[in-house]
Amino acid sequence: MSDERETRLFMISPVSNVTPDQLVRAIHAMGKGVKVKETCYGCLAEGLVADVKEVTGEIRGRYPYDVFSKRRAYPAGDPRRCRAEHGTRPGYAQLEAEWESLPLIACGLESCDRGETHEIPPEPEKLSVEDFKKITEAAR
Amino acid sequence: MKVFIDPPNSLILYDLVERFGHEPLGAMASIQERIDNIELDLPPMNVTLDDVVKGLKYAGVEVPSGIRGRLALWGPLIDQADAALIMLDPPFNFGCVGCERSNEMVRYLIRRRGIPALSVAYPGNEAEAKVSVGRIKEFLEGLK
Repeated sequence: MSDERETRLFMISPVSNVTPDQLVRAIHAMGKGVKVKETCYGCLAEGLVADVKEVTGEIRGRYPYDVFSKRRAYPAGDPRRCRAEHGTRPGYAQLEAEWESLPLIACGLESCDRGETHEIPPEPEKLSVEDFKKITEAAR
Repeated sequence: MKVFIDPPNSLILYDLVERFGHEPLGAMASIQERIDNIELDLPPMNVTLDDVVKGLKYAGVEVPSGIRGRLALWGPLIDQADAALIMLDPPFNFGCVGCERSNEMVRYLIRRRGIPALSVAYPGNEAEAKVSVGRIKEFLEGLK
């Protein structure tokens, strides 16, 4: 595995009041020496694996329900992916869909932190062959 | 513990696994390995002919090369995983993770390995989100 470089994608939840600028400033202020690139959805942070892990931990502690993150394969500003360089962006449809769901996940995390318990819904039973036969024959 | 996530490039699952103290195994690290170690200037950037051959370990030769290519990336991750977290029917299951045959094969490989695995439904509202995140938290905290 590539252990020297880690590029981390930070995405701000759509219901959050945190701005990408605030996020970038917060990371710069940590003084970890990671490279930060502000984006429309949040920012990219790139540096040594240990430094980026520290940054991720601190950001998660500061904005537990506002900022979500994952590792990114391509370096920040890579011409094959960067919009400024007309790179292709194959993963963006998924990122956008997940971005819309972040408030729900934050709601679930808040609920867990409050110690709420929830009943697990029973799994739907499989349709028996006899019932399936009845359904198909009823339509004849 | 190393937890394989499905969809393997999911932001939500990657974040949750890390948040609850485990190492997520996603596609990003595998792709980065190829980006950092191989000179790739032209598409296809992520999968090479060698990868498709490697994919034969996980899928037969009659299986389309796209599936074998995906499994060449994801198969080794499943092999080294200690547990798996699967999100069923996410609405973003299209594009680069949208091959349902690959996804079925991934779920089959996870079941065949016999590692602890949790399948949760993709939340559509707040009530479902509370249940899904609660189940994920319970599952991840129970892994030792």
